[in-house]
Amino acid sequence: MSTTANAMFDRGPAAPGAYATATGELFDRELILRYMAAASFWLVFAPTVGAIVALKFNFYDFLGHISWLTWGRLRPVHVMGVVFGGFSTAVIGLTYYIVPRLCGVPMYKERWGHHIFWMWNIGLAVGFISLALGYNSGIEAGEFPLWVSIPVEIVLCMLTIQVLGTIKNRTEPRLYVTLWYLTAAYIWTALNYAFGHFILPYSMPGVNNAAMHGLYIHYVVGLWITPAGLAVAYYFLPLAAKRPLYSHKLSLVGFWALAFFYPFVGTHHYIYSPIPYWTQTIAIVASMMLIIPVWTVVANFYGTFVGAWKQFQDSYPAKFIIIGALYYFVGCFQGSTEALREMQRLTHFTDFVIGHSHLTVFGTFVIWATAGMYWVTPRVAGRELYSKNCAQWHYWLTVVGFSIMAFDLTIQGLMQGTMLQAGADFVDSMSAMKPYWFVRSLAGIGMDIGAALGFWNLYMTIKHGKLIPVPPGAPANYLPEPKWS
Amino acid sequence: MSDKDSHSESITRYEGPGIEERHGIIPTWLAIVYAVMFVWMIWYTIVFWTDKG
Repeated sequence: MSTTANAMFDRGPAAPGAYATATGELFDRELILRYMAAASFWLVFAPTVGAIVALKFNFYDFLGHISWLTWGRLRPVHVMGVVFGGFSTAVIGLTYYIVPRLCGVPMYKERWGHHIFWMWNIGLAVGFISLALGYNSGIEAGEFPLWVSIPVEIVLCMLTIQVLGTIKNRTEPRLYVTLWYLTAAYIWTALNYAFGHFILPYSMPGVNNAAMHGLYIHYVVGLWITPAGLAVAYYFLPLAAKRPLYSHKLSLVGFWALAFFYPFVGTHHYIYSPIPYWTQTIAIVASMMLIIPVWTVVANFYGTFVGAWKQFQDSYPAKFIIIGALYYFVGCFQGSTEALREMQRLTHFTDFVIGHSHLTVFGTFVIWATAGMYWVTPRVAGRELYSKNCAQWHYWLTVVGFSIMAFDLTIQGLMQGTMLQAGADFVDSMSAMKPYWFVRSLAGIGMDIGAALGFWNLYMTIKHGKLIPVPPGAPANYLPEPKWS
Repeated sequence: MSDKDSHSESITRYEGPGIEERHGIIPTWLAIVYAVMFVWMIWYTIVFWTDKG
């Protein structure tokens, strides 16, 4: 461990060293804290870019004279920034915490974690600069150019090997549901990322490319963001509720229903397109059938919390998990029904779709990743949360801001769809949306301020949080119980 | 308590993180949702397999 790294993360006495195998610890505290800090940065950066993009709807000339700050350049930075920058960096960091604890052994090829950290974060930074400079592979949610895709793919393969190797070496006899989801997420994504970045942009022209792109983009959502987010939520849910998980049976149903139905949903982006009718029907049916895993997960989550609502008051991870489960229920129901032909006719090309994507990606999965960060950061740092007020502002600005944004986009989409169906001119339907766009921007800026406060708070927790005393004779893997997290 | 009840109430503990998990049940209302969705799936697939539906 370098002196610089030590100085950066001046850890508490519960953190005796850098590498787990060298200290008898199960996980590498230094590495996890670095990931938490990096994820905090990306989770402020990417939504800020989103707020700038949103403002351009109302103020057309805002930053429009600088090519790398135009809408077309910044929008992919926002999307890729949230998906791969903020959410994925947090999940990778949490993987280094969760997997060793569930397997009872240190991470396989543990030192790879530090190489991966740098390769991943430098890759992301180069990727966002490249996108801003106009280098874009043209595949939505797979927009990084080749020189970024290659290191990212290597990282995904290394992570998959680490997770599988750790599971192979485990001492814990049973695999908790989190490990099913994480393993599946890494394997699926290592394959899907290669598909979206190395095959799709260079082959399959025309409508076939569109059909396959539908699959790719939904595999990013359904076979990476969803299982990785659920893995995190399933891990921290019973801990935050201080109760047993409600039902192992429901976990099984939820996992296999997701694995079975999600791979078919992609084509629902192309209803009424030249893609064969039966393919569209399969996508619609699979989308609706996702009601099964979603309701199953929500029943499991709320079933776990029944009788433990006090935790909701006292614990920020609990607060974020529960509100995320609510958005999950609403957002995914909206997504399923949106695939139906009648609903597509009304909502396609409107901001209803944008509302849905925000409800699921941000409202659910980024919020669950945030819950994990609130749980892990103080414990691994051995410090109390730096500021309860900042955490409180983070939570409420997120909930209020995001609820307004999601409601606003949904109503706006339905109105615009109704106008278009009634024969209104497209430009007129755009003009009528101006007040809604303005409200969305304000709500987004509020959320962004909340995120900045919250993630600054986590960073300050790592650096300056009050040290929690370690009891004499505490084992190497001892983790303190900080207040509020 | 019947064997079935005691099985569904049995708890598995994952020592590392201290997570506990009930074997649990599938609530009846949720099983009905599964059944309704399954029937709907068959109906929609047959009726809308082609645009003649």
